[in-house]
Amino acid sequence: MRALLLAALLAAGSAHAHKPSDSYLTLFADGHSVRGQWDIALRDLEYAVGLDADGDGAITWGELKAKHAEIDAYALARLALRADGAACELQPAEHLVDEHSDGAYAVLRFAARCPAESFKAVAVEYSLFFDLDPTHRGLLRVERNGDTTTGILSPERPSLEVSAEGRSRLHQFADYVREGVWHIWIGFDHILFLVSLLLPSVFILANNQWAPANRFRDTFWDVFKVATSFTVAHSITLSLAALSVITLPSRLVESTIALSVVLAALNNIWPLVHGRRWAVAFGFGLIHGFGFASVLADLGLPRDALLLALVGFNVGVELGQLAIIAAFLPLAFALRDRWIYRRVVFVGGSAAIALVAALWLVERALDVKLY
Amino acid sequence: MLPIVHRFAAIALLVAAPAWAAPYVPSEDAAVLERLPTRRGDPAMAELRRLRAALAAAPTNSDTATRLAQAYFDLANAEGDPRYVGYASAALKPWESSDDAPAEVLFTRGLLKQYRHDFAAALKDFAGAIEREPGHIGAHAWRAAIFMVQADYRAAERECAALTEIASELMSTGCIAYVEATTGKTRAAYQRLAAALERRPNASAETRLWTLTRLAEMAWRLGDAALAQRHFDEALKLGVTDNFLLAAYADFLLEQGRPKDVVTLLQDWVRSDTLLLRLAIAEQALKLPGARGHSQALAERFAAAGLRGERLHMGEEARFLLDVKGDARAALAVAAENWKEQREPRDALIVLEAAIAARDPKAAEPVLKWLDETRFEGGRLRRAAAALR
Repeated sequence: MRALLLAALLAAGSAHAHKPSDSYLTLFADGHSVRGQWDIALRDLEYAVGLDADGDGAITWGELKAKHAEIDAYALARLALRADGAACELQPAEHLVDEHSDGAYAVLRFAARCPAESFKAVAVEYSLFFDLDPTHRGLLRVERNGDTTTGILSPERPSLEVSAEGRSRLHQFADYVREGVWHIWIGFDHILFLVSLLLPSVFILANNQWAPANRFRDTFWDVFKVATSFTVAHSITLSLAALSVITLPSRLVESTIALSVVLAALNNIWPLVHGRRWAVAFGFGLIHGFGFASVLADLGLPRDALLLALVGFNVGVELGQLAIIAAFLPLAFALRDRWIYRRVVFVGGSAAIALVAALWLVERALDVKLY
Repeated sequence: MLPIVHRFAAIALLVAAPAWAAPYVPSEDAAVLERLPTRRGDPAMAELRRLRAALAAAPTNSDTATRLAQAYFDLANAEGDPRYVGYASAALKPWESSDDAPAEVLFTRGLLKQYRHDFAAALKDFAGAIEREPGHIGAHAWRAAIFMVQADYRAAERECAALTEIASELMSTGCIAYVEATTGKTRAAYQRLAAALERRPNASAETRLWTLTRLAEMAWRLGDAALAQRHFDEALKLGVTDNFLLAAYADFLLEQGRPKDVVTLLQDWVRSDTLLLRLAIAEQALKLPGARGHSQALAERFAAAGLRGERLHMGEEARFLLDVKGDARAALAVAAENWKEQREPRDALIVLEAAIAARDPKAAEPVLKWLDETRFEGGRLRRAAAALR
């Protein structure tokens, strides 16, 4: 007690040096069945059921294995699941180990046998460790076809009821389409690349000089070829990367994307390639696809609906792209022989794009922040 | 622009995703999964087991319950592991919400509440303990400590005055010196506390540790780094495991531009968030390869704490965001939020430094006001304040 009293003036208000006890309970539900994964800290299991059989202060896999049956009985007796009110029977399936930020956890996978064929809601009743450590929390995550709910189970709130029905396939597809549209809209690098390639579509190259195109049909086909090549190319690499067939370091991908924008914009000022801009769109489109793939990876790909996510996201990207083209093309064609388009939009715009993209290139290649 | 930069950062994080992303089955039985902080054979553990057994036999025996809870509380502070505070709470379960519990139960309940930063409820329990037992030293000492955190120096002084009547001279002097050193009278506080320590050559190691740590901080605040170093050395030589001493000494070394010494001091302390933070800052300053992994581990721990819906680490989190992540805006937001609850010098410093980095002097106004009112002496805080004015 003596030490304790003086420690008061040192310790009050100090940050905890460590994390309190938590378990991570994940349920996978699809309206017909429930599976679970429960990560429980070895430190907590040691206190509750005793794991360190030889008392040497180290818990080995062998010691943990010997206690698996006891752990199953202890933990599953402190968790109840009810599907639409009817109790489900919990059956342990697999035992693994995982590292969390504060140490090793026993991973208990289990299946829930629920009486109903299909159900709308699952109630979770949780009481693990609450008697030993009232500060323990059960961190609940319920996953339903790409839709996640989380909750915190505590002695004050030991039960939660969550919907067990996932979003329909159509809903999920629509979600990914929306994400695709959104990412072409906020992905300035992709937009600027496309715009740089489209700016000269309303011109024809004669004697190394840009001159206004005479017929809309020619411009339309030029845009069609460029946009289609870009689309085909990035769809290929987006799929390959999303399926983990090919992976490239993100720094290389992002830097090359920036480089592609610089080159496409400079080509407008000092034309090297005109008739075969679709080939440029295809070549760099391959790299842009890897960029899209990383966005898709950040969103989290549902394993059971990979194709759906991939197609949905791609469709979204194309729709976003089409919207940009539809807004750009008539306007550019109408203005193509005006000074404002030829000098300000075309030359000035290309120069500005090249400058911005050059800054990105430096930032991404050197991993620095310039602004 | 921002989404791309952020996305880029997010991708970089993904690439560096830790190996534990997926559960696994260890390849051999002998694989060590976890090292426990204590061995079963330890005498302290045997005493805890004995108390647990006694409490199981008589769960409403308040004497056994408070002794067990206080033993766990001490362990929580020594090891820096809040699990033990949870075990302590379980021991006090029968008195969870009763207002007419014995003084020692109320006192212990208050201890556990202040640990979770529920200061208002803790003060109430301590007041209840004092009402039942007016000479309760612990309750007065902890009330003083909480008032210091809340920057209510008048109230803290009243508790110190109460301690002069009932506690040892070193303790009440320590209390007064602590208040003085925060309110512009550091030199007097240092002399008073140093003299009191000299008069008690046979004080316990824990008491000496506390006093020496405070003396070191005061000397450092007064700008006498050599003297501070000497007190830190004396404290470390006592051989008592103490998170707070190590954290204070590491802060001193970092400010003295000695990150190498911090790495040597803390390399075996990665389990403790507070010490891992200092280690990561030092490693980053030295551009050591370990910095990246440690910084990521910290980010994960803050995220894991956030999942519980608790934010007890805000001061540390702000320091992490500013010094390790270089995100001044986010650091300032967390530091300012922290200042609403906790107002110690280190809490003030992180607000000022984040405000400088974020070029937002307005956000620092409450702290500058506090600095004017307390006339706190401390070179780094004063310099930061000057830069903002």
